[in-house]
Amino acid sequence: MTMIATPPWICRVCLSRLVRQAIGRPTRFYANATKAAPNSVPRALVERARTIAAEHRQLTAQLSDGFNARAAKQAGATAPVVSALQTWDKASEAVAELTALIHDPGSDPELRELAADDLDATRAELANASHGLVTALVPVHPFAHLPCLLEIRPGAGGSEAAIFAGDLLRMYQSFCNRTGFRATLLKYENINGTQEAGIPLAEAVLEIDQENAYSVFRCEAGVHRVQRVPATEKQGRTHTSAASVHVLPSLNENAAADENYDDPESDYYIDPKEVRLEVMRASGAGGQHVNKTESAVRLTHIPTTTAVSMQDSRSQPKNKEKAWALLRARIAQLRREKRDEEMVAMRRSVVGVAKMGRGDKVRTYNWNQQRVTDHRSGITVHHLDDMMEGGQTLEQVMESVRSWLMEKDLEALIADEEADTKK
Amino acid sequence: MPRLPTSLLRRAYALDPYLPALLGPCRDLCAAQNELRWLREHVDGVAEKRRARGGTLARAALLRELVGKRARGMPLQYILGTEWFGEVEIRCRKGVLIPRQDTAASISHLVRFLRDAPNLPSELRVLDLCTGTGCIPLLFAHDFYDASSRPDLRILGVDVSEKALELAAHNLERTRKAQASVAKGNISFLQADILLNPFADQTEGPPSLKTALNLKRMPQFWDILISNPPYISPKEYWKTTTRSVRGFEPKLALVPPPDAAGTDTEQGDAFYRPLLTIAQDVEAKIVLLEIADLDQALRVGRRVREMDIYDGIEIWCDQPDAHPNTAAEDPASDSEFPIFGTGNARTVLCHRGQGTQWLQRTPSPHAPTSTPADTTEDCAHISHDGLEPSFDKTLLHAGDGRPFHERTLKSRKEPVDWEHWTGKPANAAAPWYTKEPRLGRR
Ligand SMILES: C[S@@+](CC[C@H](N)C(=O)[O-])C[C@H]1O[C@@H](n2cnc3c(N)ncnc32)[C@H](O)[C@@H]1O
Repeated sequence: MTMIATPPWICRVCLSRLVRQAIGRPTRFYANATKAAPNSVPRALVERARTIAAEHRQLTAQLSDGFNARAAKQAGATAPVVSALQTWDKASEAVAELTALIHDPGSDPELRELAADDLDATRAELANASHGLVTALVPVHPFAHLPCLLEIRPGAGGSEAAIFAGDLLRMYQSFCNRTGFRATLLKYENINGTQEAGIPLAEAVLEIDQENAYSVFRCEAGVHRVQRVPATEKQGRTHTSAASVHVLPSLNENAAADENYDDPESDYYIDPKEVRLEVMRASGAGGQHVNKTESAVRLTHIPTTTAVSMQDSRSQPKNKEKAWALLRARIAQLRREKRDEEMVAMRRSVVGVAKMGRGDKVRTYNWNQQRVTDHRSGITVHHLDDMMEGGQTLEQVMESVRSWLMEKDLEALIADEEADTKK
Repeated sequence: MPRLPTSLLRRAYALDPYLPALLGPCRDLCAAQNELRWLREHVDGVAEKRRARGGTLARAALLRELVGKRARGMPLQYILGTEWFGEVEIRCRKGVLIPRQDTAASISHLVRFLRDAPNLPSELRVLDLCTGTGCIPLLFAHDFYDASSRPDLRILGVDVSEKALELAAHNLERTRKAQASVAKGNISFLQADILLNPFADQTEGPPSLKTALNLKRMPQFWDILISNPPYISPKEYWKTTTRSVRGFEPKLALVPPPDAAGTDTEQGDAFYRPLLTIAQDVEAKIVLLEIADLDQALRVGRRVREMDIYDGIEIWCDQPDAHPNTAAEDPASDSEFPIFGTGNARTVLCHRGQGTQWLQRTPSPHAPTSTPADTTEDCAHISHDGLEPSFDKTLLHAGDGRPFHERTLKSRKEPVDWEHWTGKPANAAAPWYTKEPRLGRR
């Protein structure tokens, strides 16, 4: 019996390729970061891959007898593991053969020399194949393929925090602009509606309406800390304040078709009866007696007391629609986080698993030193201006965190498999 | 109006120097902030357009001017030039009433029912009397065609005001360009005076509805009648409307014309009798009338009940699709008509025959003794053949025990005795609806 719920096996290779396309630069694999030696894949993982391959063969046999949508989907999902395993087997064999040849005292010296020449290239191939196999095995986040919402809110630190929250919003907006992500403001609240720099932001939700945006931006969730002398500070003292970024799966209409909202079992399901709708309306007679402009809408999910209010648009139906989108996203994310927590609790043996709760400080932006440090991947970069303009520097930081996340996922996977095989 | 507290004004000023001025018409900070944001967006939009044409614009000056206008009470919708009516953006102009969100909520709710309705005719005909900006026909078409294949739609909006009709035509053109769904419907507008005696010899001014329909060779029979007529009595006008409404919106759209004999309340209700008569004449199967409050809803509901031709009468509130969360929020607890939704009472809905089917209601126990669906089918058949209907007077003899179709068909053969009804010669100058002769009132 496996201890954890089997995660959906979606092709990680495809994912990282998509990510790479989206970002325009290849994702580097930090081979040294896994505890295992670069060339070897932990036994437990190889066995896992063999089990999956066996299942895949069965499914394929089943499919040749007649079409079965579910089996087809499952087979499609595990196919990358099968091919990665084949490549890895081939490379392992080649290395083994060459090594045997070299060490066989009976072989021809000329041949042995040729084999030695070949060995380096073949080893490199095996390293690649190992990486491929491991990547294929890492479970993909269930929201990875979805577009996403970035929620940005000031944290501790008063108006300086609010100004920094605005800075972060502009950073992500220009990042999207530059890298070609479609981003629209779903919600924007500040004191007077202008979007100039230096105006405190109360809350913003940026919708990034592109497949896989969730997996690209997942690394941004957490508390971002700023250390600088606020514009309002007269004594020139450095302040520390913070803003929080939440990354939610966007469940807009395009995604709706695939994610069946109406299935009570799914993460995305919300019973409309459990949602209270309030429209802010002018008190009094209503109707022809007043020409009110209030169009605000508030939705409250009663079981979780999650509340969303929306008043950006002059159109009440639009506000309602946006509020529903945000409510759906928040609840799906909440449910996911709860499940992840349960998983981590069960996996007690593993220390330092990718814990990215919403309260964790993930990154520090230091103006005096013109540097940014990410506390997860440990990367420090110095082009603060480029970072804040959503340039290459931000990309570099995000990439390092994504690799870090991948490693953490891998560690968890290996730990789980090892715990399994011990039993 | 109570004065705004100085502390609030000071707080508003600290946030933005423009906010205190907007607090006057908005009353609360949050609303004022929203309006300021929309005004800024508007100014940015104007500047953008100006720049595209190679000009420049002093944004700050324009914003100051617009905030000033708003502070003096001009409705934001006239300043920005548009209002959202459901999901349709409607152009607004001085001289024509600004569409209200409450109205949109009722229309969208009705269309939601109709989209799921069984056995709709191949062409659904909708009459919107007192159409103003044309917002109701446009939203109806938009919502109706939002889903896949639907029967054809024919909607006619009627208004007495030239200004309104001009704006309605403009809105139709604009919405057709922006929304393919609206382009599918056959929408048109027509000038007529709803209050005019159809039998009066009339030489000047807008014609009566019946005459106008004949002149334009429009159908005489319509499946659905919708109206948001003027419904505020003179007293209520001074008491309940806001200053911005009184100062900037046309009184013609809000208060029915005076009638020497009637009380204040009767004047406020003046449109409902002619509307209900028209509804009966065009053989509407669903009638949706906006009203001011629960009292007026009950008065209209009772009048409809006296007509004894509808299978059901209900009252819808401002948010007809919302479920009351508490008993206190639920006005329906002991009303004589079923009440749906939350907020103030906003519309009276009556249905009969096929209309009852379309709404998937069951006829209420108080329904008339017989208005079987096949009867209305008959009528519909006759109607769509273009047979001339005759204005019948069953309204006056409500509840005479004969089935509706008998009454209708019978009255078709009889010449209408207009004098007998009104006590006035048919060409009298006075409006035809003003008296309530011989109608047994409860
Ligand atoms: C309350 S407004 C409703 C406008 C629009 N249907 C809406 O919901 O926004 C009433 C409309 O009735 C029109 N009206 C007033 N008297 C009328 C009459 N005797 N015949 C036809 N229309 C009339 C006014 O011009 C005005 O546009």
